[in-house]
Amino acid sequence: MGVNLEAGRRHGAVKSNEDSFETLFAAEYARVAGIANRVLADPHEAEDVAQEVFIDFNRLHSAAAPYAAAWLYRAAAHKALNRVRGRRRRERRELSQAADEGGRAMDPQHVFETSEDRRMVRQALARLAPKPATVLVLRASGLSYAEVAQALGVGIGQIGTLLRRAEAALRKEVTRGTSL
Amino acid sequence: MAHLSEGTLRRKFDDEDALTASDTRHFSACADCQARYAAIAEDARAVAGVLTLPDIKVDIASALSHVRSAPAAQPRFGIRLPIIRPASRPAMGIVAAAAVIVALVVTGVAQDALVFFQPKTVEPVAVSVADLQSLSGLSEYGTFAWTKEPAPQVVTSAAEAGTVSGLHVPVVGPLPNGVSSTITYAAMPEAVGVFTFDAAKAAAAAAKAGKTLPTMPSGMDGSKLTVTVGPAVLEIFGNLNAGAAENATQLNLPQLIVGASSSPVVTSTGVTAQELENYLLSQPGVSPKLAAAIRSIKDPSTTLPIPIPIELATSKNVQVQGVNGLALGDNTGLGAAVIWIKSGTVYGVAGTVKQSEILDVANHLH
Repeated sequence: MGVNLEAGRRHGAVKSNEDSFETLFAAEYARVAGIANRVLADPHEAEDVAQEVFIDFNRLHSAAAPYAAAWLYRAAAHKALNRVRGRRRRERRELSQAADEGGRAMDPQHVFETSEDRRMVRQALARLAPKPATVLVLRASGLSYAEVAQALGVGIGQIGTLLRRAEAALRKEVTRGTSL
Repeated sequence: MAHLSEGTLRRKFDDEDALTASDTRHFSACADCQARYAAIAEDARAVAGVLTLPDIKVDIASALSHVRSAPAAQPRFGIRLPIIRPASRPAMGIVAAAAVIVALVVTGVAQDALVFFQPKTVEPVAVSVADLQSLSGLSEYGTFAWTKEPAPQVVTSAAEAGTVSGLHVPVVGPLPNGVSSTITYAAMPEAVGVFTFDAAKAAAAAAKAGKTLPTMPSGMDGSKLTVTVGPAVLEIFGNLNAGAAENATQLNLPQLIVGASSSPVVTSTGVTAQELENYLLSQPGVSPKLAAAIRSIKDPSTTLPIPIPIELATSKNVQVQGVNGLALGDNTGLGAAVIWIKSGTVYGVAGTVKQSEILDVANHLH
């Protein structure tokens, strides 16, 4: 009897875990995919990343964990940035060909304005250190200072400084990237 | 008044009301701050512009079904502590060696006593990297099997950690600057393992390595050591995003770890404590210096030796919570730890902060 009760309790716990996972998924999936898309600028690939992130999370953590959302946001940014890094070599080759052909403009403002260079900006983002890159991605994805701080595990008072440095670094990196 | 920091100016860009009244007064009168703000705002606008994208449209139901069809989830079991990642093999080696050294001093004065190791205090034992490398694992001397397997689990609250472990979960006081107040709790019920000495296995392992082991004293072959560890609780401060990272450079070390565990207890059948000490300390890998250090521990049956790699860390005796403790690391902020035993419980606090901050956290645990 005791055993049955125990088994029943365990079954209940599993069911409740599944319910909380579905609730978490429904609440956070769009945002997690949005973060990945911010890095990749490719909705299909972003959804792949978002789903991988949830699968990883579900393997290791309880959906009721208080850090669940923060974990997912940061994981989405990291995984997406890693994808960009993985394809950097191919992109670099294309960029250097383009530079040879066109003698493209070096003005970062110009870079920001052209859609073709959007990919280059993603590459520049992936060349930043993980923390500044993540700050930029999370903030641009609409997370509040408090949410960004929680995802990065830093104090909220540091976010202004981190953002400032990351933005300056990204502009510098973009300038460097265009001369490749 | 000092100029406004870049962080403050950047925050003003996102929230006009973020400045305090005095900051606002300074800003309106300071051409330097206004110029810096203009540059910061230009960068912020440019970056925001390029990172702006149309909202992604998702089908949550179909995405969920895709995630559900992924290969079966592993049991939520075992915390993936960043410090125990595959890239940390040397660290795992040190942990294994530490286990061997603990076994080396599983010695006691009361040879008839069934329980002959139940530490009540801690003592450093200096070991060199050569010592660590030359020691072989316990597995070469016999077989080890869990009769009650360790079942560490990540739990969602201090209360749950208390329920799983049956221990009081330490509550921290003020945290050092920069340490996140996000806590991950882990807990483990008591685990019990039995080690059975096997003379033939020890001889075979030695022969394979081209060494000759001292003969096992009669009665040791087949004798058993029963080791009880835990229950234990762990509080990890910071973000444990190891699972999200695809390379080692992305991993986040926890900023602070607080742990508590019932003191380990070792009991034996057959082998006497003196025989065990003599036998293990006469192994080829044990340097005379290490053997002497271990023999010098006054009451080994109640002392938990903490192996301190000579080349890697420094240690000193400190008073923690009114008892003797051992502090490792320094005040560089690269890493420090303190360990102590009080009322039958081993406590540890470690983190990537200064030793003085670690001691402060330790002394404020309640």
